[in-house]
Amino acid sequence: MKIAVPRMGNLSLIIRDLAWRLGLETVETPVFSEETMEIGSALAPEFACLPLKAVLGSFVQVLELGADTLVTGGGHGPCRFGYYGEIQRRILEREGKSFRMVVLEPPSVGIKAFHDSLRSLLPREHVRLGVLLNELARTMSKVVVFDKLEKRAMALRGLETEPGATDEALAEAQGIVSGAYTRKEIEVARLEAEERMRQVPVDNARPYLRVGLVGEIFVVLEPFFNFDIEHWMGRRGVVVERAVNIADTVVPMGRNPVFGYTEQAVAQAAEPYLSHEVGGDGLLTVGASVIFARRGFDAIVHFLPFTCMPEVIAKGVLSRVAAELDVPILSLSIDEQTGRAGVETRLEALLDLAWSKRKFVRGLAESRARA
Amino acid sequence: MKVGIPRAMLFHHYGEYWLNFLETLGVEAVVSEATTPDIITSGAVHADNETCLPVKVFSGHIIWLKERVDVVLVPRVVSEQYGTLACPKFMGLPDLARALDPDLPPVLAPRIHLADRRYLWAREWYSVARALGGTRLASASAVAGLLYGLEKHRVQARARPAAEGMTVGVAGHLYNVHDSRASLGLLDRVKSMGANPVTVDQVVPSRARMQAETLSRRIFWGYESRLAGAVLHWSRTRSVAGILYVTSFACGPGSIVGALLEDQLGREGSVPLMTITLDEHAAEAGLITRLEAFIDMLRRARRSSPGGLSVGGAQGVRS
Repeated sequence: MKIAVPRMGNLSLIIRDLAWRLGLETVETPVFSEETMEIGSALAPEFACLPLKAVLGSFVQVLELGADTLVTGGGHGPCRFGYYGEIQRRILEREGKSFRMVVLEPPSVGIKAFHDSLRSLLPREHVRLGVLLNELARTMSKVVVFDKLEKRAMALRGLETEPGATDEALAEAQGIVSGAYTRKEIEVARLEAEERMRQVPVDNARPYLRVGLVGEIFVVLEPFFNFDIEHWMGRRGVVVERAVNIADTVVPMGRNPVFGYTEQAVAQAAEPYLSHEVGGDGLLTVGASVIFARRGFDAIVHFLPFTCMPEVIAKGVLSRVAAELDVPILSLSIDEQTGRAGVETRLEALLDLAWSKRKFVRGLAESRARA
Repeated sequence: MKVGIPRAMLFHHYGEYWLNFLETLGVEAVVSEATTPDIITSGAVHADNETCLPVKVFSGHIIWLKERVDVVLVPRVVSEQYGTLACPKFMGLPDLARALDPDLPPVLAPRIHLADRRYLWAREWYSVARALGGTRLASASAVAGLLYGLEKHRVQARARPAAEGMTVGVAGHLYNVHDSRASLGLLDRVKSMGANPVTVDQVVPSRARMQAETLSRRIFWGYESRLAGAVLHWSRTRSVAGILYVTSFACGPGSIVGALLEDQLGREGSVPLMTITLDEHAAEAGLITRLEAFIDMLRRARRSSPGGLSVGGAQGVRS
């Protein structure tokens, strides 16, 4: 059984870790490319959202590389994501591929469904439930460390004195954590990795902008679809903070350890603008935007796949957030046709706006102080 | 006090119960006029450009109500059946309405969550009733009437006039199909071409549910699950000559369920299916030509083989 999992941000690191712990045989899914999107859009239904097309394209590619078991997430709606696996299975079957599709149901659908779908991926020899849970918990704590390192890197990139120093440190830090097995080792590796990140030389005197990144998890995490916004912003001396992280979605009870605000806090922040769960990351997008605005961020960038249902609602509501909390918010909807130049021009305009707004506010404060 | 209700979206499902609710309270209800081209245009201008056609139509109705009423009633429909959820757009609809225009009258948004325990959300209707000035007794009776109506709606099919001749199944959201402007008069056009249209709400819900359960993965959107069940029912019992699948541009559930039905019907061999996608730019000529071609094809097939046309593999016409 050769398992393939779609790519999304740090997910490949996590899969590698799980494969190592549970003895799974995996096939590395190729990175997203123009070709992936061409295959995906040709097969997928016309109005399906971008992640479905992208993942479908990469499934075709990975089947050609010898994978025979495709793993994807499930769910019970209302986001379309919960039905992806079924549609992709039907399309790939129609194309005459032979494979097995495993839809990994999240525990919220039912503990048994989650357990059964997970079990069906394990190799033949029996893995005791206690061992399985233990390994999952260890991987989960590793995921949190990976995402926290990335969060730190996003902040450092805008401040570093030598370009590329942060990326170098991040790669080394990820290497250190990847090797850790037991809980104790993970903890030691975490401290060591954080120490490595601290060695990045930064220039604290330089003025910088703070930008919040919100939106649908797939396009926010995959550099191919957001035109590598984290590096793009970093090169322009912008400190970026991201609201969506894989760790926050896998850690139970809505604790959001990486973003730092619990689900309840996010819902409370969103309440005046969006007072009900809308599936996907819609509520998080609105709540995080309000939190970023209150913390005095200079701008917020909202990424969504074209026609994504929860994010379109969030987009409609964000115009009100931007007006009432006086923060520039740029919504960028991404599909297979989106061009880099168009996105970058709009992002540049957003940064210019944020700079001039800051100068204006400072000028206002100075004139008040004089008077 | 005048309470406005937009004649859009789920008004086409639950409108009569909402009106009954307001009537029991003795509050004057103002329902926006039937959709006009102007309403669609103002909706498309005010709403976010990426939303689906029905939300744009809804936004147009809200703008129409803006100057004419004191409060707007936009119930938040979270689910329409046990074990399902509604489209996310319904859940965020009141918030979308509030974000449309800063000068909008207050929006009342009591929940309808038929998959959940009644007492959890019925009390929201009770507080709305009290806020609208109903006495305790009138409010309680209005809420009870509403719950009764919703339950009836959930289990009963709408009556279907008896008619001779060829039947065509029209599978689409009621707010598209029953809105003669948004759907460009689809039902009337089918009738004038000599066929009897039958809509999803005319299929008995329990029968649709039974058919929907046969799918390999349960559809978690309430209305779409009923729609898919109705289509499978029509196709498997051969009770219609052909099926028109009507969806709107950028409809999320529609994109998935449409692909699912095309695949499922193609696998089991069904009556022909044609997909029609509506948007605010839809031109009538294109629609008429396609409808005529589809209905002519069905008629010719009926003449050559009385049992009707069965299409295996291919899915008939796609537009």
